[in-house]
Amino acid sequence: MRTWYNNLDYVSLALWLALVTIGLVAIYSTTHGPAAEFLLESVRRNFDRQLVWGVLCLVMFGVALLVPVRFVQQVAPVAYVGSILLLVAALLFGREINGARSWIPIGGVNFQVSELAKFGAVLGVAHVISRRRPGSADLRLLLTVVGLLVLPAVLIVLQNDTGTALVFLALVPVMLFWAGVQLDLLMLMLAPAVTGYLAIVYEPAAILFAIVFTGFMYFRTRDRRLTVVAGLFSGGTVFALWIALTKVLQPYQVARILSFTNPEAAEYRSGVGFHLVQSLAAIGSGGFFGKGFMQGTQTQGRYVPEQSTDFVFSVIGEEFGFVGSMVVLLLFAGLLVRLVLLGSQMKHPFGVIVAAGAVGIYLIHLTVNIGMATALLPVIGIPLPFISYGGSALLAHSAILATVVALHMRRDDFSIYAY
Amino acid sequence: MIQDRFAEDPGDRARVFGVVVLVIVGILALRLVQLQILDASEYTGESRSNAVRELRITPARGTITDRNGRLIVDNEPAYTVLIAPRYFDESRAGLLARLLEIPDSVVTRKLAEARRWSPYRPSPAFRSVPFDAISRLLEHRDRLPGVTYEWEQKRRYVAPFRAAHVLGYVREIPPSMLERRQEEGYRAGDLIGLAGVERGYESQLRGRMGSAFRLVNVHGQEVEAFKRGAEDIPPISGRDIMLTIDYETQALAESLFVGKRGAAVAIDPQTGEILALVSKPDFDPDVMSRPISRELWNWFQSSADKPQFNRATQSLLSPGSTWKPFMALMALQEGAISPTSTVTCNGGHPIGRGAFLKCMHVHGTISVHSAIQQSCNTFFFEMMTRVDVETFSRYAHTFGFGEKAPLEGLEQDTGLIPDSSYFLKRNPRGWNVGVPISLGVGQGDMGVTPLQLARYVGAIGNGRWIHAPHVVKALRDPDSGQMVRPDLPEPVAMPFDYRNVAIVKNAMKAVMEEGTGRSLQIPGIPSGGKTGTAQNPRGKDDSVFIMFAPYDNPRIALGVIVENAGFGATAAGPIASLMAEKYLTGTLTPESRARMARVMQVTSTGVAVFTEVEE
Repeated sequence: MRTWYNNLDYVSLALWLALVTIGLVAIYSTTHGPAAEFLLESVRRNFDRQLVWGVLCLVMFGVALLVPVRFVQQVAPVAYVGSILLLVAALLFGREINGARSWIPIGGVNFQVSELAKFGAVLGVAHVISRRRPGSADLRLLLTVVGLLVLPAVLIVLQNDTGTALVFLALVPVMLFWAGVQLDLLMLMLAPAVTGYLAIVYEPAAILFAIVFTGFMYFRTRDRRLTVVAGLFSGGTVFALWIALTKVLQPYQVARILSFTNPEAAEYRSGVGFHLVQSLAAIGSGGFFGKGFMQGTQTQGRYVPEQSTDFVFSVIGEEFGFVGSMVVLLLFAGLLVRLVLLGSQMKHPFGVIVAAGAVGIYLIHLTVNIGMATALLPVIGIPLPFISYGGSALLAHSAILATVVALHMRRDDFSIYAY
Repeated sequence: MIQDRFAEDPGDRARVFGVVVLVIVGILALRLVQLQILDASEYTGESRSNAVRELRITPARGTITDRNGRLIVDNEPAYTVLIAPRYFDESRAGLLARLLEIPDSVVTRKLAEARRWSPYRPSPAFRSVPFDAISRLLEHRDRLPGVTYEWEQKRRYVAPFRAAHVLGYVREIPPSMLERRQEEGYRAGDLIGLAGVERGYESQLRGRMGSAFRLVNVHGQEVEAFKRGAEDIPPISGRDIMLTIDYETQALAESLFVGKRGAAVAIDPQTGEILALVSKPDFDPDVMSRPISRELWNWFQSSADKPQFNRATQSLLSPGSTWKPFMALMALQEGAISPTSTVTCNGGHPIGRGAFLKCMHVHGTISVHSAIQQSCNTFFFEMMTRVDVETFSRYAHTFGFGEKAPLEGLEQDTGLIPDSSYFLKRNPRGWNVGVPISLGVGQGDMGVTPLQLARYVGAIGNGRWIHAPHVVKALRDPDSGQMVRPDLPEPVAMPFDYRNVAIVKNAMKAVMEEGTGRSLQIPGIPSGGKTGTAQNPRGKDDSVFIMFAPYDNPRIALGVIVENAGFGATAAGPIASLMAEKYLTGTLTPESRARMARVMQVTSTGVAVFTEVEE
């Protein structure tokens, strides 16, 4: 006789716990280190608050496992609409923290609704995609998915939190991929991102890429129209970027985009480059084994701004070194691969898409966050899932994971064959 | 059209997804390899220079004492008040001003300056704050957050004399020197000895700077000891210096030189230790060790009296008659004359074509002894004709003429002792014998320093050994108390037969008892000496005197010159005699005191004095 929890995926749960624990250790180091006496009282309580959030998330995990799966699918549209309403509410009545008007105080606790919206968006998109008839992906579905993700992104941009908005946009190709969209189309969508990145790092590489990509698309499809579009998407990006950087964007925005290529440069060093210089110094100086728990000079001297939130990876890199950093990377790799596996074991498209959305969300955050901390990517302020300080982000990311694990646990009850 | 057959199979999509995940994680891992393994050392340096501040711990600079351990120079704290504007409560600016006893406006201005430099870091706002103001600040420290103080050392001069050219002075290291000496651990604002013993023994006096490493946060606040002090370097105290200078003798000598230009050097003939060294006009080392006004600095540089010029070791003078004992020794040793044979003085020495080098008197037949005692020029012109310039030069060099003494840090001139190559260079077509003949009475193409004169008369007094003059007796490690004597060259044996030396010594004794030095005798102590008068192209003749005492086994030898003061017995002689009396007996008899009062009336013409321009 199989009990209800027999299918529970303990591996995911353990990986989640490990990541949350590492996050707590890193936050503890920033709040209880030898320099703690110089911190504001409110900052010193960050660890306690994150610990409470961690416990709450554990409870939520338990609750999520008890909820009937059909209910999750049924409330998905509600969750999406609720998220959008919260975003609008924050825009109208919200509180501004760190320049972003994306916070709503509920019972003395500030919720960052843009973080919570990730959960709603994944459920909403999964709902829409899973309702279509198999093999019938069409332009309407495609546009619906894009619309569902662009809407919250626009609201969040209005809240002045471009970083979080980019997560929603980056989720578009991921979700479309799982909606079964043609690979050529996906490649077309990704081409501007790749060309843009190359153009910032090394312009000739971008031009070379644009030529190779256009040629590749022609030989792959023999479709002239598509080839012209490919050329426009890739080559046009170089031009559009050039226009944007020289004519449209404000100098501080340009600095934010370009500074990662050379954070030491005089024009960046005092501004946004400071984050990168200090973050690189922290991670690099950690060496192989790190400087030891609460021994990092960069961390304890608070040289890296936002070191418990967006730049938390610098704390791990400095105090636990290459070994510690690799442990985090491998835990993430393990969790993501595991989630892909869980998704492939699911028997209902809703579950599959939610799992894919979860992998997409985490992968985007992981790439952007660590890429930013190691100056591979521009400074985009988004948290490292489960590790960065921040209750709303931890809650949202854990809720997504809890949903996937719950759906997977009850995959036999929740199948397209189970009607 | 939009649908893709490939993507319709969930298994394929999952595999693609898995590969994408691994590729991205792989890229990030490679980046970590680059940062944390390949470039780690570079970033380690960067993070260290960022977050670790080195606090330098300055060891106490070594003190300087006299030959008996009496303190001359030590250190005193100079307090500086610092303000960290970010933490300072501006409503308390008035309180701070009251405690420091300065106007409110000054505090406001300093606060603004400090804020411009850094809002977080404590910046030095008020320097040279007196100690009682510091203690008042400490009483109110609770009400003055952001106000701290630190102290640095300042040299303190406690002796009643200056000994300026021996001690030298200590100043903030000049930028030009800082560039060269940075490797030795000097930083901007460090003190460094710039003259005298302070310069010559800089590294010993300074000791070794210690370092304490502190973890500093992004606001510049010190957080804790870096690695719990594991990398800290303790400072090593500077060594104390015991000079050979005698406190009382130096003090007396300087008071005797008030209003005069000149120099005096006293040496212990048994060791070469310099008992007193005076060069006037001089400077106040205390003033030179402080920040000084531009006017005063310009005066030091441009004054005709050149206060920084060490007359005792740098001024070249014609020794005049004080040179005669040397000539006598050389002539006796070379067999140019025997102790009993004589020379006839007709009031001068003919140098051909009717020209004549004059003597003071017509001495008639005269022996070596009388020639010294009566200071007969003719006799010594004759002696000069009987030796060649090379011999002259060789003997002069054995006494240390034309040579530097081992005096670390003191400026010296070698002096000029001519030899044949010198004259050949001056007169390529051969030189007239008349030129070197004037050397016989210490005139002409030669120059000696007062220090060299003292060493020379000391050697005659000693009779057997010529000791190198030196000014540092010992270096003392303040922690272990261990004394180290500086390395000195071995004493040189006098290249003269002791009988010849005895004849000259005896004649010098006669000078003191029956000759020109009659009035200069030390009460109750026999001595030997010789007066001299050197021509000075700038005005009145210089008064020169050399002396050793007691006569047997002398303990002090002196070379004294007073510029533009005339005959040797009027100014230089009494000074030497009084110094010797003070050193040998520790006091002055009432007659000597009376003589001292007379000597203090004698002044060199036109000694410049710096008067501070009132602002």
